[in-house]
Amino acid sequence: MAATIRALRQPLWLRLTSASALSLWLLVAAFPIFWITMMSVKVPLDAFADGPLEVIFGPRTLAAGKGLTILDLLGYGLFLLAAGRAAMRWLPRAVPSLSLFGVRVLGWLIGLMAVVLGVWIGGVFVLPALLGALNGALGLDPLIGFTAEHYRSVWIGRDFWQNFLNSMQVTLGVTVISLTCGTLAGYALARSGSNIAFWLLILALIFRALPHSVLVTGYLPVFINSAEILRPILGDNAPTLYGQPLAVIAVLVAINQPFTIWMLRSFFLNIPADLDEAARVDGCTHFQAFRWVIMPVMWPGIITTGLFSFLLGYNDFLVTSLLLDQSNMTMVPAIASFFNRETTTTDQVQAVAAAVSITAPLFLLVMVFQRQIVSGLTQGAVKG
Amino acid sequence: MAGIELRNVSKRWGRFTGVDRFSLSIREQEFLVLLGPSGCGKTTTMRMIAGLEEATEGDIVIGGRRVNDLDPKDRDIAMVFQSYALYPNMTVYENIRFPLKIRKVPAAEHDARVRRAATMVELTEFLDRRPSELSGGQRQRVALARAIVRQPAVFLMDEPLSNLDAKLRVSTRAQIKNLSHELKVTTIYVTHDQIEAMTLADRVVVMKRGLIQQVGTPTEIYDRPANTFVASFIGNPAMNLMEGHVTGGVFAADKVRIPGLAAPDGPVTLGFRAEDAAVAPSGQIAAPVYTMELLGDATMVTVRAGGALVAVKAPKDFRIAIDERVEIAVPQAACHLFNTKTGERLEA
Repeated sequence: MAATIRALRQPLWLRLTSASALSLWLLVAAFPIFWITMMSVKVPLDAFADGPLEVIFGPRTLAAGKGLTILDLLGYGLFLLAAGRAAMRWLPRAVPSLSLFGVRVLGWLIGLMAVVLGVWIGGVFVLPALLGALNGALGLDPLIGFTAEHYRSVWIGRDFWQNFLNSMQVTLGVTVISLTCGTLAGYALARSGSNIAFWLLILALIFRALPHSVLVTGYLPVFINSAEILRPILGDNAPTLYGQPLAVIAVLVAINQPFTIWMLRSFFLNIPADLDEAARVDGCTHFQAFRWVIMPVMWPGIITTGLFSFLLGYNDFLVTSLLLDQSNMTMVPAIASFFNRETTTTDQVQAVAAAVSITAPLFLLVMVFQRQIVSGLTQGAVKG
Repeated sequence: MAGIELRNVSKRWGRFTGVDRFSLSIREQEFLVLLGPSGCGKTTTMRMIAGLEEATEGDIVIGGRRVNDLDPKDRDIAMVFQSYALYPNMTVYENIRFPLKIRKVPAAEHDARVRRAATMVELTEFLDRRPSELSGGQRQRVALARAIVRQPAVFLMDEPLSNLDAKLRVSTRAQIKNLSHELKVTTIYVTHDQIEAMTLADRVVVMKRGLIQQVGTPTEIYDRPANTFVASFIGNPAMNLMEGHVTGGVFAADKVRIPGLAAPDGPVTLGFRAEDAAVAPSGQIAAPVYTMELLGDATMVTVRAGGALVAVKAPKDFRIAIDERVEIAVPQAACHLFNTKTGERLEA
């Protein structure tokens, strides 16, 4: 598609206006992320300096002997570019060969893990050692202030990795349960023409409209007293759900499920019912038709909905901060605990570093799945 | 291979009746066409046979076995959909193979059978493509191959040609006819196109508003339509129908007078086909020309007579100006008489 269709070609002034509006928007949207990234790699004196250039170049960080040479900048820049390419190009293409036992989800998970592992080993161990040796050999001086000390103290000193694992536990739980219930319910509701289906959808919408805090306060007494409530069923080792990730997963799924069902239903509606019928005439049961014919066409929908579920679980503050105790805290509410009465500037920069750490995986995720999110796999299913 | 028996099959949605007490027995290896305008219940009838729609009442028997309560997969049928309904994530090869795979046909047979089916519909070059990379006609042939690969007892085809352009429709029609001859499988074919029905069918079922209007061979349907609906639905152009009166064996209407008919006195609808009448020096109809159309192999002359437009086929070099007077000869033998009120054929 080299040339745009003539009727869709835009006049110069329109292109200029939209380009400038887009760049302005990009600036406004991307600036905070750029800024906290800059802050997080400087010593506190630089991070909170009055001059913006000092925040970017970090003279005091440089003076403390921490900085990047021109070679470092080049090396890390290329590394990031390569990582981005691997995530966007290589991974989606490698998925079919990575799918163990023909399960595509496994393929994506393995591919994603490979990319993360590669970036981690390359960026934290191999590249610094390599570039350090090269810099020493060439005698290059640092140009720009840079220190990873805050990240180190956040992830190792403050046990942020524990919070990361908790986050993953909650997020994966929410995503898996939401998608499992959502695909089954969404498919059924999309293919059923009955009135009950319509009212179920309206009911789901009403639940979605409830404020989240209402749901949490509704669940809270049940979770606190769950040991007593469950004792008749589970016996003496009935758990107290309050403070457990399971409780958070339950509430987040309750919040998220109506949305997932609606979204997946609309994806299923886009798949012609003829496909189900052809499959059933060809010899499938209802479930086989769903599994072998409809699901393979549904991947863009599953991935898009899964991403939204993931974001909900990953970014949640209200539910996690209310329902989890300190040992099970996820990343987002954990940042709040960085601040207290005696907060120092170091604490603040560490909080900023933690915030950047939370953002990075989201970038990776969107980069990996961007093609699937927009792709139209159903093209050619029916006449076209 | 099996015959199909439909006994009083009905489909109702609430108060709406889609198919009303449909009874028909379809012979083994017969090519049966369900024909009618949209909304006449022909597709619903087929979907009930396929098991995609549940019959409200009546029995559906395939090969001596009542199948009302069986799933589509257990009815030993194959179906071709109007929209093709190919699996977009699979290649052509996998699409054709799918019925074998899902029914656990021994894997050793798959390749040979897929290739045989693909050869029959001339698809062998496209086996590695995906449906989105094929043209409409090729997609339609994949759908056909997917249906024939398993050699089912019954083929069901739901307007398989209606998404193709006119030229392709003719060649694919010929292909379907040839396939059905070769495979010798009972086939039910749904269409609203009367030419498809005439060319393909062993027998045609004409339907209207859920009711069977006439069942017969294409010749019977064309030559002895059971009522005015069938008469006006079959044939191109449709049969000329004029309302008038018979007195003493003479049919009379505006500008029309046809004697020698064996019909009781009273109101009657008279019909004849355009090719059965001719422009003549003196005839039973005398009226000014309404329009003249050149068809290439003939000239169609239309006049306004008997309260309707009446078309007559004239030789291809016949020319006449609009509004000029013309006489049309209608042989008595070519006349069909219908009850004006009910539309039913009056048997002579």
